[in-house]
Amino acid sequence: MSLKYGVLGLLKGEPLHGYEVKSRFEAMLGGTWDVNIGQIYTTLQRLERDGLVRPVGGRGDRGKQSYELSPKGQQALDQWLAEPDVGPQQLHEDIYVKLLLATRIANGDLKGMLARQKRAYLQRLRDLNRLEEGARRDGRIDLARLVRGALLHTEADLKWMDELSSERFGTEGAKTQ
Amino acid sequence: MSELVRLTDVTKVYQGGITGALNGVSVTVEQGEFTAIMGPSGSGKSTMLNLVAGVDRPTSGTVVVGGTDLGKLGETGLARFRRDHIGFVFQFFYLLPNLTALENVLIPAQLKGNSPNGRARELMKRLGITEVANRYPARLSGGQQQRVAIARALINQPTLLLADEPTGALDTRSGEQVMELLGELHRDGQTVLLVTHDAKLATRHATRVISVMDGTIVDDAHLESPERAAAEVIRVRGEEASR
Repeated sequence: MSLKYGVLGLLKGEPLHGYEVKSRFEAMLGGTWDVNIGQIYTTLQRLERDGLVRPVGGRGDRGKQSYELSPKGQQALDQWLAEPDVGPQQLHEDIYVKLLLATRIANGDLKGMLARQKRAYLQRLRDLNRLEEGARRDGRIDLARLVRGALLHTEADLKWMDELSSERFGTEGAKTQ
Repeated sequence: MSELVRLTDVTKVYQGGITGALNGVSVTVEQGEFTAIMGPSGSGKSTMLNLVAGVDRPTSGTVVVGGTDLGKLGETGLARFRRDHIGFVFQFFYLLPNLTALENVLIPAQLKGNSPNGRARELMKRLGITEVANRYPARLSGGQQQRVAIARALINQPTLLLADEPTGALDTRSGEQVMELLGELHRDGQTVLLVTHDAKLATRHATRVISVMDGTIVDDAHLESPERAAAEVIRVRGEEASR
């Protein structure tokens, strides 16, 4: 997801100035995405340049400029919301590369690596469970859903570790060198 | 904390190749712990629970619960041990169909010659099943049946609450309520031993996760529960900079 559509989505409700966009965006994400105010201003300027938002009212307090969604911005937002996420799956974590390297390197402590990674995933599951519980307690059902998604992903990671642990590893990976 | 359960070099061999065998398991559980035993089906995790409950005996090795060596007890002694110290919750509830919910809850107490109606009603109130006290199991939802089974497990104030896949036959929502209950009981000091194949559930309340594979313990993880900011746990990432 890019910040662009997050900003458009927030402006759909009501006109906001840069700082309001930042604080509402961060509140919506429940602290899972920090943005700096500079990114927000840059994004707003680009959106204005592309005709997706437009300034509304004069410059208020301390020169703050509010923006509203334009019809074109509304259309772009609707289209983005309606599109499924396609494209390559994002695998950001180092474990994917570590695994490939460990199977190539002789005496690589693969079992140990998998066991340590499994523990890290267990701890993450515990942390996510607590986060989900907290979100529900705060009445943030939307955020609890996001955390639930992360929980299920981590569960899959854990299953992957178990599957790998029960596998016999040779040097099969190295053949493609 | 003091030690409540000790398995020493426990082996369980089943004739005829039945899965669930154990191969030299040693582990201790402290009083007040919420421990999850995790593993795939046939790994031996339920066997561990059955040995701790005294419903099954090891082929070799010793099982000590609350200072009692279960191997030294005869059948009558074992039955008394189970009645006095163990509360057991199963995947499929095992309520007696011709008894009401309240009567089911009272069974273990009646085996001791007690009939603590007050405690039973108090437990049922706490578990949110007061209004179904006089219904028969067939007229209860799965979640209600499991809560009746939990009340039954708790009626004799067991030293140890054992739960074998307690949410396995429930829908997600009822399953979560049952897990919340187990968490609450633990916060009130109940020692809980939970068997599950579900890592999400295992880590909900348990601060210790024992992984069992092919009859041996392959990992014994003590998890931390610090207050973490959301950003330390999840980072939602966007593509940088809108063009």
